[in-house]
This record gives sequence, C-alpha cells and structure tokens, in this order.
Amino acid sequence: MSADKAKTHKLARPFKQDRDIADWHGRYTPYDLAKEGLIALVVVVLLVTGLAVLFGSPDDTPVTVKSWSTANAVDFAATAIAELDGTSGTATYGAPYNTNGTAMSIGPISPQKWLGVHHPINTANDYVLGPLSTVANQPEVQAAVAEYKAASVDQQAAWTAAYEKAVADATFVNGKLVVPAGAYGPVGVIISSLTSMARSGALDGALLSSRQFYGTDYTKPLLFVADGTFLEGLAVNQHLAGDQWGMMNETGSYPGQAWLWLYTLWYQVPAIGNSDNADIQVFAIMIGLTTLLALVPFIPGLRSIPRWTRVYRLIWRNHYREVEGQGGGTSTSGSPPQVMGEVREPVTVSG
Amino acid sequence: MQSIALVVGTLFGSLINLNHPGNYIHWGFIQMSYSNLLVIILMVIVFFAAILIPFKTHKNKGADR
Repeated sequence: MSADKAKTHKLARPFKQDRDIADWHGRYTPYDLAKEGLIALVVVVLLVTGLAVLFGSPDDTPVTVKSWSTANAVDFAATAIAELDGTSGTATYGAPYNTNGTAMSIGPISPQKWLGVHHPINTANDYVLGPLSTVANQPEVQAAVAEYKAASVDQQAAWTAAYEKAVADATFVNGKLVVPAGAYGPVGVIISSLTSMARSGALDGALLSSRQFYGTDYTKPLLFVADGTFLEGLAVNQHLAGDQWGMMNETGSYPGQAWLWLYTLWYQVPAIGNSDNADIQVFAIMIGLTTLLALVPFIPGLRSIPRWTRVYRLIWRNHYREVEGQGGGTSTSGSPPQVMGEVREPVTVSG
Repeated sequence: MQSIALVVGTLFGSLINLNHPGNYIHWGFIQMSYSNLLVIILMVIVFFAAILIPFKTHKNKGADR
C-alpha cells in the first residue's frame, strides 16, 4: 500500500468515540500551568516539612551479627553450624550465591538461572573458617580449624551432625556457650570461638567484603543474620513477614507502602505463597497487569469504562450543565473537554 | 556540646513518636495497620475532594476569546 493510500485509508476509517478525538471548535481561555505547578510544589514542600517535624521517621536499631549473637547466642551457634555443614538457607539457595539450589522458573523462563552465580558465597569458608583464620594469638582456634580442614568429608559430616544434635540443648551461661558433650571433634571449639568473635563485633567487620574504601556491601552479614530465627522473629513481631502483608507495612506505627497492596496480595494466595516459584509468579502477574494497564487505550471494552462510568461528567459537571442548559450538544465523542497537557482550557462547545 | 545536641534534638525531633509497636486490623486473610488504613482513607477523601470541589471558572476571562 502506498503512503497516499495509507493516509486515505486512515482518514476514511469510521469514527469511534473511545478511540478517536473530535476536532474542537469551541472557545479557549488561558490557563497558567506553571503557576499551578508552583503552587502544588509549595504545598507539597510545606506538607512534607510539617509532617516530618510532627512525626519524624522510622528509626529501628539495625540488626547486626553482634546484636544477634548477643541477644541469642544459641540461635547464632545453631545457624553457624548450618553454615559450616552447608544446610543453611543461603548454602542451599542457588544462584546468585551458589549452585546448590533449584532456580525459580515459570516453564522455560528462569532469570535466576540465566544470570547465574555472580555473588559467590561458600558459607563454610566465608562465614566460619575464613573469619576464624584471621583470629590472632589463639593457637587452639587455628589448630581446630586446621584439624577440620584436614579431615575427610565423611568425618566433617559426622562432627557437624553430632554438633547440630547437641546444640539443640545448648545454653549460654556466664558469657560462654555450653553445649552438651558429644563426638563433634574440633567443631565445638570452632563454633564457640565464632560465637565469641560475633559477640565482640569482630565478625561483622570480617564479613564486610569491601573492595572500596567505604564498605557498602552488606550481603554476607545480612544473609547470615537472615539464616537464623532471630531476624525472622523481629520481622514477625513488626508484621513484616510475607504472609502478614509485610511488603506494605513499616516498622513501628508508621504507615508503610500501601501502594504495594497488589504485590503482597498474591503472596496471600496459598497456591502462590507456598510455591517454590512464588517470587517469579508474582513478578509475572504484575508484569502482565502493568502491561494491561499501559495498553488500556488500545483494548476495546476496557477503554470504554470511563465513558460507561461517567465520572468525567461529575468532574466537568458545570460544563455539561451549561451545554445541556443551552440545548447544545457535546463533542462528537461525548468525552469531557480535553485539557491535559494543554495550556488552554475550553470554556464552551459549539452546538 | 551535649546540651547543644539535646536542644537541637528537642527542636528538630519528631513531636509525635511513632517508633512503638503498631496495631493491626484482621479481616479474614487481610491484615492492615491502622496507620495504613488511615492513609488509605485520606487518599480516598482527597480523591473525592478532587472530583467534587468545583474548578475555578473562567467565564469572565474567556468570554472575549
């Protein structure tokens, strides 16, 4: 089809009131958008400043490895042994940290798998053995680490299994982790020393794998803390867990992100919330709904909803009252006067 | 120095402290904090106000154009 024919075809197509815009033949009046924008800016600045003075902002104490191990040393020790034997949440997560887990997917679509391991974490080395190797002047700790590393995989597994069983009955007395006796070889010294290191704050520093002058990568300590039950307990107390609509909540009594209600709603659906692929399923649903919203002007039926609901007649009620009072008609489309993005506002419609 | 920090903190600190455990409403499987509910109600009020508050008319200004 030639360009002229295409143009003719376009001009000749029938007018559809929810798709096409009728030419405006009425009068216009000036409208100062810059002035309105400035007024809106001043009002918002005053509101934000006033609300900030009145209510402040959320100020929860950050959870660190030190604060966690100080508050609940037994939970820390139980998590540390899981990091050492590779059974923790991080150790079995898969990409982007390791290859030990199954990537989320919807059919053949799996961005987690496609992006691969780009932030490698070996929990035994990065969380336990590595930090302990930096401890100076404690030969018994270095000897325990060396003994563990030199042992066979089966021997290591036997030690960690025995310790995992024993740590369930552990207590923390007089600043020391007390674990029932068992055949866990050097693992007792390793976990006990790591607990002391964590409570001193030294482990927080050792886990900040910073290549820059200022460390900003908190991935390792954050994942370590998240592997325990302490952080989860704090989150549940503050209604921040996934099954508590936590995405739209905030710490304390502050209002949260109410606009995320639709994202967190899907996690309340058991078939999605209990799925191993929940995140990518919610991601796909929201991408689909967002695309639908963006394409509303092109979807027959959906694009007619504003005309059917007639909310525009409520907004422009003076205009329609005036026009209908004069016995005149509205524009061909029956739509409200078009002012968005214009600097002139129509004041009447030719009959 | 501490007294200066105290004065500045008092002057610029929040007048209403919301850093305490919140209260939540449970409607079946729906959970929502009272503060979120308040914000949603305010948004609905602003929405209806935006529809119902009449536009400034331009009858006189636009009549000659």
